[in-house]
Amino acid sequence: MSYLYPSSLEEALGILRDGSGRARVIAGATDIFLQRLPHSLVDLTALPALSGIKEESGLITIGAAVTHSQAAASPVILAGAQALAEGCARVGSPQIRNAGTLGGNIVNAAPAADAAVALAALGARARIVDIKGLTREEAVEDLYRTHNRSLVDSSSEILVELIIKSCGINEGSAFTRFAARNALALPLVNAAAAVKVENGLVKEARLVVAPVKPAPTRLQRAEEMLIGMPVNRETRLAVEKAAASEVEVRSSLLRCSARYRLHLVGVLVGRALETAAQRAQQRKRGNDS
Amino acid sequence: MKQQIIMFQLNGEPLEIYADPAESLLAILREKLGLYGTKAGCGKGECGACTVLVDDQAQNSCLIPAGKVQGRRVETIENLSRGDVVHPIQEAFVEKGAVQCGFCSPGMIMSAYALLKSSPQPAPEDVKTAISGNLCRCSGYKQIEEAVLCAGDKMKNRES
Amino acid sequence: MIRSITAPDPKQAPASGCFPGIDYDQNPEVWAKAAGRAVYGTDLKMPGMLYGKILRSPCPHARIKKIDTAAAEAMPGVRAVLTGEGLGCKPFGIVVDDELPLAVDRVRYIGDEVACVAAVDLQTAERAVQSIRVEYEELPAVFSPAEALEENAPQLHRDFPGNVAWQRNISRGDSEAAFREADHVVENTFTVPAVHPTYLEPISCVAESDRCDGLVLHTALQSPDSVRAIVAKVLELPLSRVRVIGPVMGGGFGGRVYGNLKLYILSSLLAMKTGWPVKMQLTREEEFTVGRPMIAAELKMKMALRSDGTILAREAEIITDNGAYSAQAPWVSNTISERNDSVYRIPAVKTGVRLVYTNKVPTGQYRAYGNQAANFATESLIDMAAKKLGIDPLDLRLKNCIREGDVSVHGLQINRCALDECLKAAAKKIGWDRKKAGRGYGLSAAIHANGSLIFNKKFRGAAAQARLELDGRVTVFTGEQDYGQGAHAAFARIAAKALGLNPDLITVQSRDTMHSPYSLGALAMRQTTIGGKAVQLAAENLKEKIVQLAVSLSGEPATMENGVVRGSSGMVFDLAAIAYDYHSQTSGLSLLGEGKYVPEKSDYDDSGYGNISVTYSFAAHAAEVEIDRDTGALTVHRIVAAHDSGRIVNQVSARGQVYGGITQGLGMSCYEGYLFETGRVANASLADYKIPTALDIPEIEEIFIENEDPAGPYGAKGLGEIVMVPVLGAIANAVADAAGEWVTDLPITAEKIYQAMAGWECQ
Ligand SMILES: Cc1cc2nc3c(=O)[nH]c(=O)nc-3n(C[C@H](O)[C@H](O)[C@H](O)COP(=O)(O)OP(=O)(O)OC[C@H]3O[C@@H](n4cnc5c(N)ncnc54)[C@H](O)[C@@H]3O)c2cc1C
Ligand code: FES
Ligand code: FES
Repeated sequence: MSYLYPSSLEEALGILRDGSGRARVIAGATDIFLQRLPHSLVDLTALPALSGIKEESGLITIGAAVTHSQAAASPVILAGAQALAEGCARVGSPQIRNAGTLGGNIVNAAPAADAAVALAALGARARIVDIKGLTREEAVEDLYRTHNRSLVDSSSEILVELIIKSCGINEGSAFTRFAARNALALPLVNAAAAVKVENGLVKEARLVVAPVKPAPTRLQRAEEMLIGMPVNRETRLAVEKAAASEVEVRSSLLRCSARYRLHLVGVLVGRALETAAQRAQQRKRGNDS
Repeated sequence: MKQQIIMFQLNGEPLEIYADPAESLLAILREKLGLYGTKAGCGKGECGACTVLVDDQAQNSCLIPAGKVQGRRVETIENLSRGDVVHPIQEAFVEKGAVQCGFCSPGMIMSAYALLKSSPQPAPEDVKTAISGNLCRCSGYKQIEEAVLCAGDKMKNRES
Repeated sequence: MIRSITAPDPKQAPASGCFPGIDYDQNPEVWAKAAGRAVYGTDLKMPGMLYGKILRSPCPHARIKKIDTAAAEAMPGVRAVLTGEGLGCKPFGIVVDDELPLAVDRVRYIGDEVACVAAVDLQTAERAVQSIRVEYEELPAVFSPAEALEENAPQLHRDFPGNVAWQRNISRGDSEAAFREADHVVENTFTVPAVHPTYLEPISCVAESDRCDGLVLHTALQSPDSVRAIVAKVLELPLSRVRVIGPVMGGGFGGRVYGNLKLYILSSLLAMKTGWPVKMQLTREEEFTVGRPMIAAELKMKMALRSDGTILAREAEIITDNGAYSAQAPWVSNTISERNDSVYRIPAVKTGVRLVYTNKVPTGQYRAYGNQAANFATESLIDMAAKKLGIDPLDLRLKNCIREGDVSVHGLQINRCALDECLKAAAKKIGWDRKKAGRGYGLSAAIHANGSLIFNKKFRGAAAQARLELDGRVTVFTGEQDYGQGAHAAFARIAAKALGLNPDLITVQSRDTMHSPYSLGALAMRQTTIGGKAVQLAAENLKEKIVQLAVSLSGEPATMENGVVRGSSGMVFDLAAIAYDYHSQTSGLSLLGEGKYVPEKSDYDDSGYGNISVTYSFAAHAAEVEIDRDTGALTVHRIVAAHDSGRIVNQVSARGQVYGGITQGLGMSCYEGYLFETGRVANASLADYKIPTALDIPEIEEIFIENEDPAGPYGAKGLGEIVMVPVLGAIANAVADAAGEWVTDLPITAEKIYQAMAGWECQ
């Protein structure tokens, strides 16, 4: 066994089954290639089941092998899941975005992966099949075991696609991140928001930040607090406060102190929320005219 | 990993190599194929010196397992000039002073090449983004940006 | 529209006013670089070549109890294994002799060289190194100068008690009186971390031994002659049998003046032992962990002023962090301690500087030699004073700045200087009088030495040769290196101007110590000023000889103008014919012009007072920044760089130097700096040691004030190092202007700005 090129999902699963744990899937290779390599690698990038972006009856389906570049430039994603396009556009560098995939971004399980954070805010669900042929669907933020370890076992499971409800009337999403330089830099904090705003009041909200826990972290208290509130400066400040009060962050020599990071969590969530809300309201106006 | 046959297109010609598929494309190009134009600055995707085109897209060859290029089109800096005749991008780089120590230049030129393939008349902002994965310590990037914009014009003039 | 590599079209780019030829670097090597055909050190491969790898200490400070190399030696493919025991080398160094090629009984930092291996391929060499077993007995370690200076601190080197590698006290004028009488005193403490030159190509070398005392080192160096001398001495080889040949260099910035001596010595030892060429190369991680960054420094500084803004005195207490071994850190400490005092007319100065050993990565040098670190401190202090006195920072600078004809407090003779013009021009262009709301503005001024007279007091100058080839072309031999800064193109232009020829007809050669004139190398901005002057003189000498020969050939008076040799009767001599005639007459000699430029001896005395350099370059930078008040995020919008580097030889290359130098200055101001975790470098990668990318660069506007300086060739002087200096002060001052608070600890990150604005206690 060695480097393998299955032409279908079934074939890929078959190889994993025969490999009994010694074969692992590989997508863009930007993470796995710098790690300890398994006995054999099963390349997923050519599989039709994992490629392509499509929208059907309000649902966007994105193949797990779609690259950050493809996602960032996709008209479907730009229209229906703007936060994801923004998150993908900020990953690493053009070269990394041309290779790295959304599936890899999730399964690699880095705590502040940009696509994963945006996907979590958008309420994305991941469809996963295993070598027994069983399929399951999970929320993206539920796929994390611990720091840098996914619940998806890439020697026996394949993340096939991601499913997002396309952004409708009165809905909007946004992604923001804060990093030490404008390219080739992991974020100190990243955040994404998806909201529904009706008659100037927040109807639904999902707010996500990282790195806080191993997984992209929903800010449940801030979300609850938002419901029924008008979108204005006061609300934003209240959300910033609530956000910073419900998470615990760590100091890191390479990035920043916990205190500053906590401050950034508030600011970034506030900014993502504000932009998402603006977009939600614009979508309404757009539809009216 | 065990060596295997990998078939791909390199600089316009079909090629078949027998190699460890887990070795990096960068190592294959340099050590096995003697194409030293592609440079190694970090080996971890962090500098862009090793940039090549895979199916017309700029990628870090240090992060590509050789197995991955099976059936694909790979283009390196060596493909841009023929004998004495250089590509307009290379010409623009020299004229604009975009080449100092030159160690980043092959990767930089490949990123510019990928950009100009997909958008022949890029805006200055697009140029900055397109080369943002290529570190240059000598130039401060300004003359590189001038060169890429100038190359776009040169290529257009050449076509017309 | 496709152009040939060999014949660039001169119509494409117009020439600079006073120099012939096209205005970009026309060295044929530049075309090769763009084509991906230039051969760098990392590209070298030779028949039979072995690969060397070094085993490094995992401990910051430990006694080596035992090294077991049996497994490595038994490994197939391994050709040699070396340990420190039995090498018998004497301690060596650049300024202070405190290093051995391999540790003998003690390691002093994480990365210290313990053993090395040569094997048939890199993988085998790596496996062999990993198989070496070393028993260490850990010793207490010191990770900061403060710890190292404590009474009972562990001592790193027996010969340097108290862990002080080098120190100096400077006193000029009566600073105590000045401080007593001053109307105002400003003071602060500034800290600067260790920074790495971060040339894009990691250092490598191939050593070849010919088994008869001879050694050839293939490695790209800014000062090959200096390295050659050290290698010969350490290996006890006759100097004439050591030869350094330089492949193309992937960036230097001071980091390749001496490069990595350990690598050169160890690969040489392995080559001598095996009889085969041995290649060694630092990984990017090793570049950061064992390469030679510039020292970290802490500067406690105060300044005395009169109410009208006159500077009366400056005092400083400076501590620099040497790491485990010294390299050039004493020189860098020296520059940090005094160079900035000569930017202004300061009557009295008192400075103490101590270079302290710690169990961390040894240090070296970086572009501008620490002048930029001191600029950050001094120029911040000037603005603090301006604020306190209620004087405009521009006015305060203009009131005090050094001017033509001055002798500075340290005895520097300022013969040509347009610093005041630089300040005014930079301020005007940035819009000092019409500042935009919400933006911060900062200014900074700098001086830099140009061709050191004291680096080697006896050897101050440079020599060059210009040879008329049989085809009528000219080859210039210089010891000055070109590493992409356009030195050779500039030399071609200088020689072209002297001879009246097209620069295309001139080839510049330098990369082989066997054939090139000896040179101190690319340091202290001596290249254009001193090296270029020698080239000018050599070319002029050749011209004289050509004319003489034409006279003796024709028996009539002759002249050479615009490259044409003409007798008084109107007869024109072909250069090739002249060359050939001489060649035949002498049975094979070439017509050779020689130039030596020997600057006058300096009056530099034992107290360090006196003129240190042939001349000086000046610059003023202005920065415009914006701060996001919610996060402290800094955007540097614009930098205006006004430079007095005399006549500019090549506009395109000069602009390249400015943009590149400012970008490095921006990096050091806002992004870069070593981070340590108990002696271990925590950010040893290009992802974590962040240098600016294309998306981080401000608008840069350059102004050249071409104040001709007779000291340099056709009035030109150095630019390459000074460009990096004033950026730091300008950005720091602009940040303070925008934030209302000072950040006195580099790099100026968003977090530090936010902390300062929010009044958080620093942790
Ligand atoms: C220099 C550099 C900069 C970077 N910057 C960023 C950044 O700014 N932001 C960011 O978020 N990330 C960044 N990354 C990380 C990385 O590029 C992304 O996480 C990328 O999306 C990973 O995708 P991939 O396809 O390359 O994964 P791979 O490396 O191919 O795989 C990663 C892991 O996921 C598994 N896997 C991949 N696909 C599947 C699947 N479909 N089903 C099951 N398992 C799968 C693999 O087995 C492996 O364990 C950076 C990486 C580098 C090298
Ligand atoms: S060598 Fe590939 S990105 Fe640096
Ligand atoms: S030219 Fe030297 S790194 Fe770009």
